[in-house]
Amino acid sequence: MQNTVEIKNITKVFGKITALDDLSLNIEKGKITGLIGADGAGKTTLLRMIIGLLIPDKGEISTLGYNPVTQKDELTPHIGYMPQKFGLYEDLTVIENLILYADLKNVKHDFKKMLEFTNLDPFQDRLAGALSGGMKQKLGLACTLLGSPDFLLLDEPSVGVDPISRRDLMRMVRDMINPQTTVLWSTAYLDEAHSFDNVVVIDRGKVIYKGNPNDLAETPQEFENKVIELMGGYKQELSRIAENYKPLKDIKECTVEADNLEKKYGDFYAVKNNSFCINKGEIFGLLGPNGAGKSTSFKMMCGLAKPTNGTARIMGIDITKDPEKARSNLGYMAQKFSLYGSLTVKENLEFFAAAYGIKFTNRESKVQEIIDVFGLKDFAQQKSEELPLGLKQRLSMACALIHNPPVLFLDEPTSGVDVITRRDFWNHITSLAKKGVTILVTTHFMDEAEYCDRISLFYHGETIALGTPQELKDKAGAKTMEETFITLIKESEQ
Amino acid sequence: MKILIALIQKEIKQILRDPSSIIIAFVLPFISIMIYMYGINLDSVKVTMGIKNDDPNPEIATLVKSFGHSKYVNSIYFDNVKDIETAIARSKIKGAVIIPNDFSTKLSRGQNPDLLIITDGSEVNTANYVQSYAMSIANNWLATSKYAGSVKKNSINTEARTWYNPDLNSHYFIVPGSIAITMTLIGILLTSLVVAREWERGTMEAMLSTSVKTIHIVLGKYIPYFILGMFSLAFNIFLCVVIFQIPFRGSYLVLLLVSGLFLFTSLGIGLNVSSVLKNQFLASMVAMSVGFMPALMLSGLMFPINSMPVFFQHLTRILPPRYYVSFVESEFMAGTVPEIVIANSIYLTILGLVLFFAVYKNTLMRLEKVSPAQIMERQGKK
Repeated sequence: MQNTVEIKNITKVFGKITALDDLSLNIEKGKITGLIGADGAGKTTLLRMIIGLLIPDKGEISTLGYNPVTQKDELTPHIGYMPQKFGLYEDLTVIENLILYADLKNVKHDFKKMLEFTNLDPFQDRLAGALSGGMKQKLGLACTLLGSPDFLLLDEPSVGVDPISRRDLMRMVRDMINPQTTVLWSTAYLDEAHSFDNVVVIDRGKVIYKGNPNDLAETPQEFENKVIELMGGYKQELSRIAENYKPLKDIKECTVEADNLEKKYGDFYAVKNNSFCINKGEIFGLLGPNGAGKSTSFKMMCGLAKPTNGTARIMGIDITKDPEKARSNLGYMAQKFSLYGSLTVKENLEFFAAAYGIKFTNRESKVQEIIDVFGLKDFAQQKSEELPLGLKQRLSMACALIHNPPVLFLDEPTSGVDVITRRDFWNHITSLAKKGVTILVTTHFMDEAEYCDRISLFYHGETIALGTPQELKDKAGAKTMEETFITLIKESEQ
Repeated sequence: MKILIALIQKEIKQILRDPSSIIIAFVLPFISIMIYMYGINLDSVKVTMGIKNDDPNPEIATLVKSFGHSKYVNSIYFDNVKDIETAIARSKIKGAVIIPNDFSTKLSRGQNPDLLIITDGSEVNTANYVQSYAMSIANNWLATSKYAGSVKKNSINTEARTWYNPDLNSHYFIVPGSIAITMTLIGILLTSLVVAREWERGTMEAMLSTSVKTIHIVLGKYIPYFILGMFSLAFNIFLCVVIFQIPFRGSYLVLLLVSGLFLFTSLGIGLNVSSVLKNQFLASMVAMSVGFMPALMLSGLMFPINSMPVFFQHLTRILPPRYYVSFVESEFMAGTVPEIVIANSIYLTILGLVLFFAVYKNTLMRLEKVSPAQIMERQGKK
């Protein structure tokens, strides 16, 4: 049998939304196939349908020769599926999770190789909930790989993971499978997809490209451009968000300053001697592996956590002395979608306008203006939880900018967002910076790091390198940002 | 079998590591028994009442005194009616007795004398106490006074004897009844969260792509929480019988068996709620209203069922707490009554099995609910 999966004309409709539209696709045996597409393109629905967790309205599927609709019980022993949330029990330890999944899959308790390979051996008795993001992913993958499945399906396993963990994850999959194993890997990282044997691009429920990624483009960067083209292209327009932005007058040099920031938990330094100074209109990137102390720094900078030593100043105002005044100069976009899901887009904006102290009389006009500028008019009356991810991000940004802050903090704003939305998002960010907004941003996308004016590389709570992207690349003697990242981290370990 | 054991072990570890389940199973019953024991009292209490005597006869002064001597009454003497009115209005006294000026005259003539008892109708229970206390004090006084022979005795002499609970101590039935509430909390509230949690955290999706079968998921939830519930039951009985010295006249074996059946039905309700709603918050709200509230209010524990509106009386017949509460109360106070045990057990068994079947049906093996007929139909459309 040549193909692991054969799909003929499947359609799936959820309410008014057509998730998959007359889709046909074959997935070759023994190959790694990347699945890419915009948010809501139907990637997860397709994966779930292939293994029988969802049933098509129309059409036929054959997976490993079984019909997943009627033969799900026969099919499941042959597959390994890692859902987006990894499916780990956070209140069980690493080894208990492995034992549980081994029992559920009827395989032997032989985890030695797996534990060594994932470097989880020393953490066997740690609760899964207490692991870092990268380690959780490795454990999730280890549970999925138990019993050497013939067919491995991974649903965006590398969202929110740093380049080192991503590289480990990739190596793990390649080393643990045999040449007969088929892998279907859904991802938002196009450089990842470029390294696979095959790639399937789906858009609005249809397959728009299938083939060898190298046939499409030779370098990951070109590949990204080609994929964007396939998806209808991205036209860089003047950012209306930035255009409408009214710069504030009292801007000084060093609009954001960290002065020997330190956070200590017991004997453990989460952040140590963190000092930097960001100037007006600068995009400053904070990069580092998961658990390096980026989020802790972020929280201290906006006064959500109290530093054990040192301080931070926003527009010259000390965050530890007058947190409220310092924060009024700040727009903050949190890592997770942190708006009110059951409120409409407009109600969310109204709430944040009020929370940021915009006068009642100006509020209505301000909200209207923001809705216009951010292109949210058609969605104003929709509940925000129903929005697609890209629009949610845009709404979060709108809420963070409603009070015209001179400083903007973005904590992994593009995690789990598709390429086109990311491009659009960065267009706004760079335009805002040109208008004089100071921006502090964290990201795991190394291509995004290139947009930053300066980068601080963070590891084990300390800055290990600081400079422009070019300076860092030179320092590491690397061509790409990703190599730079890995090299500098490895060097600091020695 | 190996899968089932793995799931049960997993669930037990989760229970032991989750402080909220231990609190619900062991701390909460302790608190609720304490409240029922010391906080809630449905028995007669000492009431404060006013007394005003318009009869100058010194013999009547002994009647006033006997109000002062009663262990159920705190009496305050008043000189005029106005003061009584204000005292009642300010809730300083719960009622008043006024002895008219012809009280002794009528008694000595052999006529039936009048006694005015004023009560505060805004607190009906207390008003009843005031009335009955005043009457019994007056009657007792009459029997021992010099007028004893002059008034016609009632033609029937009654003597009341209360069976099963001679002291009329309400703790004896409320405290065991609270076991029903604890069992409901474990059975419904705790389990309403557990399936929803698996859906919310995405572990259900991962589990469905392994060799797990429906029966494993269902039993993997029923068994661990049944065990937890039985431990909690034993702890409750220990508290009632050993610590609070509530008399137990029945059989421990019967108590355990019927409690097990009740727990089985409660688990069924909780797991159904959880499997259908798949959302922890919603499930816990629904569990509170279909589980906890009926156990407290529609079980006959706090409010007698036959004084409820007809609709609610019928409602109590469907809900399991009524059957369990009546059983627990009789088991503790009257001993094993075969009729009650058998009738209630039959109902609980039937309901428990129906609910178990419903849980089985509501446990999805896919991410969407599709009946086999629909699958056949879609397959036909190829």
